[in-house]
Amino acid sequence: MRGVLRQAVLLIGLAFLPAIGQALYFRGNPAVLAKPADAHEVTLAEAKGWGQSVLWLDARPHEEFDSGHVPGALSLNEDDWNGLLPAVLATWKPAGKVVVYCSRKSCNASHGVAERLRNEAGLKNVYVLPGGWEEWEENAHR
Amino acid sequence: MKISLAFAGSLLLFVLPLRASSLTWENLEADLHPAITDKEAVAHFKYKNTGDQPVRITAVKPSCGCTTAAPPNEPVAPGASGEITATFHIGDRIGMQTKTIHVTTDEPGSNTTLTLKADVPKLLEINPTFLYWSKVQPVTPRVILAKVGGDFAVTKLEVSSSDSDVKVETSADPKDKTQFTITVTPKKTNRPLNAMLKIQPDFPKDTPKMFYANVRVDAHPENAPASSPAASPAATPAATP
Repeated sequence: MRGVLRQAVLLIGLAFLPAIGQALYFRGNPAVLAKPADAHEVTLAEAKGWGQSVLWLDARPHEEFDSGHVPGALSLNEDDWNGLLPAVLATWKPAGKVVVYCSRKSCNASHGVAERLRNEAGLKNVYVLPGGWEEWEENAHR
Repeated sequence: MKISLAFAGSLLLFVLPLRASSLTWENLEADLHPAITDKEAVAHFKYKNTGDQPVRITAVKPSCGCTTAAPPNEPVAPGASGEITATFHIGDRIGMQTKTIHVTTDEPGSNTTLTLKADVPKLLEINPTFLYWSKVQPVTPRVILAKVGGDFAVTKLEVSSSDSDVKVETSADPKDKTQFTITVTPKKTNRPLNAMLKIQPDFPKDTPKMFYANVRVDAHPENAPASSPAASPAATPAATP
């Protein structure tokens, strides 16, 4: 019995090793554990709370947009930026908000589109929904 | 201490994921410098199976729909080499582009991330690409700056508007030969308009590239007919983009 207990303690100790290593490596740097603070990111609840004042922009490729998108969203991706941008700017409302999304958390197309809208077109109130279309679909019936 | 089977098994589970992957990559990162006329940029990531068992590449997932890459159909035999070819479709992207490709094999814990960096040359930097006159702003001329990037030999810009009610004038900066000024003035403001400006540099000569800026005017209240909603005092005050 004592032998089994000793082996269990040894296994638990081994399992803790990587955690201890990480804690030592990131000592004094708690920011690494926190959610990155990006002022341009919004949660789905926040964006939905803005109601009709939101212009939703879908930064995914055409074929993904065609197979499903946020109701009322316009397509704007960098594959065809020049072709798609005029329709977006004609719809944009100065007092409204723009929320850009792509497929999921791991994609970065929404950030690229949002940055160009801010830096090149000079639009304000441009936000990114980090969870993207995946998050929208998961919450569609809630 | 007598070692139990459960302990040995658990220890094995702990150590197994630490085993090095059999696929050795020649490069995990590719720096690409496409030419100004290129439509795509291709990266090659070479690997070799340095283990003693065949390895199957089960998935190759690019982070962006703009990049395509596929796993090989056959398993990689011990000692065999191969490559993942990733094609980045440039589209209307400009500047430094960083895309990742996640490669998974049938070995436990052997995920590899490949990085493709493509520096898409900026022939012209247009700023801003959107001019907006709201209902309450006076219609005064606005300026778009077009800055020539790198050492490109642009000497002239042709600028035209899709709407004849938008007047455009282009002038080269006398002090800075790499900069042009495009002055935009809507002629009439009693109707809303959305116009596209086409900006064409005289370089490259053989394959001209077109750049764009957009102009939008919301109907101006003092010019609008009395019945127009734009003349209403309740009209939404507009912000400058």
